[in-house]
Amino acid sequence: MRIFVLVKQVPDSTEIKIDPRTGNLLRQGVAAIMNPEDRHALQAAVELAAQVGESSVTVLTMGPPQAIDVLTEALACGADKAVLLTDELFAGADTWSTSGVLARAIQHLGGAHLVLAGRQAIDGDTAQIGPQVAEALGMEQATYVQEIEYLDGELEVERRMGEHLERLCLPLPALVTVVAELNVPGHPRLDLLLLACQDRAPIEILNAADLGFKAQEVGLAGSLTEVVETFSPKSARETEFLEGSPAEMAAALLGRLKAAKLLHKGGLE
Amino acid sequence: MTIRIDQQSCDGCVRCLAACPYGGIDIADGKAVLNLRCTHCGTCLDACPQGAILSDAGTRRIPDFSEYRGVWVMAQQEAGGLHPVSLELLGKARELAEHLGQDVSALLLGDRVEPLVGALFAAGAQQVHLVEHPALAGYRTLPFSRAAAQVIQSQKPEILLVGATPMGRDLAPRLARRLGLGLTADCTGLEIDAQERILRQTRPAFGGNVMATIVGRYSRPQVATVRPGIMKPLPPEPGRQGRLLRHNVHIPSQDLRTTLLKTIQVPRSGVDLTSARVIVAGGRGVGNMAGFALLEELAGVLGAELGGTRVAYESGWIPHERQIGQTGVTVRPDLYVAVGLSGAIQHRAGMLDSRFIVAINKDRAAPIFDVADFALVGDFSKIVPAVISAAQEA
Amino acid sequence: MSGKTLNLKAKVRPPPRIRSDAPRMVRQVFHRFTEEEVIPRAQAIDESRAFPRELFKMLGDMNAFGVRYPRNKGGAGGSTTIFCIICEELARGLVSLAAEYAMQCLMGTNFLFHYGNAEQHERYFLPAMKGEKVTAFCMTEPDNSSDLTGCKTSAKRDGEDWVINGVKTFVTNGPVADLFTVLVQTRPGSRGKGLNFCLVPREAPGLSVSRAFATLGTWSTEMSELALSDVVIPAQNMLLPPGTGMRALLSIVAEIRTMTAALGLGLARAAYEASVRYARERYQFGRLIKDYQLIQAHMANMATNIYASELMVRDCCARIDRGESPLNLSSMTKYFVCETACNAADRATRVLGGYSYSMDYPVQRYYRDSRFLLYGGGTHEILQSTIGRTLLR
Repeated sequence: MRIFVLVKQVPDSTEIKIDPRTGNLLRQGVAAIMNPEDRHALQAAVELAAQVGESSVTVLTMGPPQAIDVLTEALACGADKAVLLTDELFAGADTWSTSGVLARAIQHLGGAHLVLAGRQAIDGDTAQIGPQVAEALGMEQATYVQEIEYLDGELEVERRMGEHLERLCLPLPALVTVVAELNVPGHPRLDLLLLACQDRAPIEILNAADLGFKAQEVGLAGSLTEVVETFSPKSARETEFLEGSPAEMAAALLGRLKAAKLLHKGGLE
Repeated sequence: MTIRIDQQSCDGCVRCLAACPYGGIDIADGKAVLNLRCTHCGTCLDACPQGAILSDAGTRRIPDFSEYRGVWVMAQQEAGGLHPVSLELLGKARELAEHLGQDVSALLLGDRVEPLVGALFAAGAQQVHLVEHPALAGYRTLPFSRAAAQVIQSQKPEILLVGATPMGRDLAPRLARRLGLGLTADCTGLEIDAQERILRQTRPAFGGNVMATIVGRYSRPQVATVRPGIMKPLPPEPGRQGRLLRHNVHIPSQDLRTTLLKTIQVPRSGVDLTSARVIVAGGRGVGNMAGFALLEELAGVLGAELGGTRVAYESGWIPHERQIGQTGVTVRPDLYVAVGLSGAIQHRAGMLDSRFIVAINKDRAAPIFDVADFALVGDFSKIVPAVISAAQEA
Repeated sequence: MSGKTLNLKAKVRPPPRIRSDAPRMVRQVFHRFTEEEVIPRAQAIDESRAFPRELFKMLGDMNAFGVRYPRNKGGAGGSTTIFCIICEELARGLVSLAAEYAMQCLMGTNFLFHYGNAEQHERYFLPAMKGEKVTAFCMTEPDNSSDLTGCKTSAKRDGEDWVINGVKTFVTNGPVADLFTVLVQTRPGSRGKGLNFCLVPREAPGLSVSRAFATLGTWSTEMSELALSDVVIPAQNMLLPPGTGMRALLSIVAEIRTMTAALGLGLARAAYEASVRYARERYQFGRLIKDYQLIQAHMANMATNIYASELMVRDCCARIDRGESPLNLSSMTKYFVCETACNAADRATRVLGGYSYSMDYPVQRYYRDSRFLLYGGGTHEILQSTIGRTLLR
């Protein structure tokens, strides 16, 4: 079975800080990591490949050259091959454009029986790439998947749909996006990690022309949406800092809450 | 795409620095220069009054979309009824349609779902496009995409709003890709641009630390998803009538290969943060389960529900249904007590409409204080017990 | 889209050779391992005063113990640079885990790997790489430690076998080890010439291991005494050709000292980072304490010494990886960096004030653990005299 895993390099948003004076992002030293849910997708791919046998796991990412690091990590977690789609022309791509490039790359690389991806990336939270790649490749899809079983050329998956769970039987080829409940990803292996940093590592690098794209078909130029404005949300609230010891702060707070009629005898209603 | 800055025409006004979401531009010797963080995304292009920022992207022709009219809402279902988000979106759709001078329609897909039509009219739909088909009994991606695509292609709406439920987030991107449409996920603000008469879609972006306004100039309908709880429904007008339009669709057997084996109801935890009047929420700074036990005690004293951030959920301190923010639930209680959470935009997006916000954090620079009414700076493990005993005495 | 247009077309270009930088990737992976797995458990492990088997097995699953050995022999194909990065990152979380890790990678398995036969590799080395067997290294004796030529543990030939008698002490991992590499004297009175290393399995009759010592710091690194009383081992367990013991030991001395320095660097960073975090959060008299000059002086001192330490460790690693044996430079590095660690831990206790005196916060552990670094890998008194003696030779 040929399995592809879509991964994304994202800023570790838990480390991002905002300059309290200017309100700007403090980006220096913010680590770039593999999108957390993609680690679960990769783990599932490696496990499925071992279970099914005669399988390959190819991990695919589109990004700037430094996105190579997530591929290195993926190889260290057991992927067989990694492909970096990088080109200045890809910059500014929306999900329409990105999904088109990823789908074309999967075809270029021989097609897939199964594509796995994290449900969404923590820097965008769109959850759009999975279904859009599935559509572009004409595959079955299942999103929000928390359990995968492979049975004779079909997948049985369990997905979380808000208030209920669904068990689906999917024929292949299919694309599945996964949530963290699926599994516990292992740590990378040091030997594979060091191997993946070497020239002979099984990493392929493709640009727009390799995939047969013209400049105007990819990146911002090939996107259907564009960002026209960015801003830091400003709050209209007047913040009152309550000072003093914990007990003094607590007393002041309770006073304010009472005055705002938020507090009644015996606690809040 | 590649960005270049023409050093001749740059006057060092720094407007591009503010526009760049990545910090990719520096000023050196009074001129803007790109640094290594520049991703050539093009967001800065329109910010330069001198036209000194150049790109290799040619000016794109905007096709003629004059025949696309109407603001549509995908009528999503849940347990045999309409999902509340559909009614919320009809409220927003009415506002957008009035700006455009157009009608509001609901798109209702299912098997024997006509009884729901009245509720859509009552919630603000002027027309309901109804597709009934046995293959649409219960949501499955491919039949729903097929049916929705056929109706949208023939009816040509200008805008389509979809609730960002798991079903909406499964369907909308599939549909958008099939029809070649731009799509913006999880919008927190929607408005019509006065000049261009296009949909301005605002959402947290770039790692959730800035808001971005996004437009789709090159495809119709413009599609946006919106999370439940963000928009307000109109007061229902029972008995209100509208036009019902039925559509027939062809769903080929190849769309039916995925089978639903069974549906399992998750035992309801009884947690509904969206209707809670008081919420106590914790984040990374709470540190561990023992910290959350303290918050639970505070919640008990205040008659509050307990919630938390994405980090709190991922650390296993709270179950997913108690996660508040962009990837959790959106809440608007009377009182929101934020403890040990910094207040990233992703979290703020889910609680900003709370009537009163109290923040307890030891980092005075934490952005949560920007949106708080009352700020308590210090170690939560000392302040929270003090608040508990003060509240018990009150 | 505004403005003028540049003319740039999609061009067919040769694929660039883009690869990740190995040291940076290793640091990233073990940084995350430390953040996710070590730091959350560190306090509990320390207080349990027990060998952290769960984390040890995790490191085995990552093939981290194989860092110094080639890939085709069960190792990971790394280098001293990579090894020391891992030591440093682990020490940032918990020095005792890092010390146990380093023991298993270096002293505990080095002679087994280089001089052991295929059966010994199968039986001990490969399980050690997986974290399933624990190894220990026994040099120090109650009467002599740094003066190895004074080794009194004797090995006497008895037909095909060797009979070992003697006492070893301060054996790191002693109470939990499955295999000991023991320094013995085969020709009493020969000073260095008769030194050799032999493998003694835990189950060998005549071997007794004491209970773990109570120690000031590195509580979860169990250390004990080892008594060998007529312990019989087969000839193949005497690892080195006669007369090569001293040379074999010297081959890893620079690496041991550099590794110990890397542990110190990790600890110094932990102390510094805790201080920075606290100084940015703590208010006194209406100001963050970071705005007080005496706090700033602590930070400046710690950061400067950490920077120098980093360069020294990196340079020694690079020299060892080039095939040099920087004996004196590694002594200077161990001396400087571990003093830096003790100093940084001390300063951290001053920045954090009462919070560093409480056993509920990690700074007290940094302070206690920093003392371990003064003795492991050579006391600073001896190191200073060997450095000076070598310079003046």
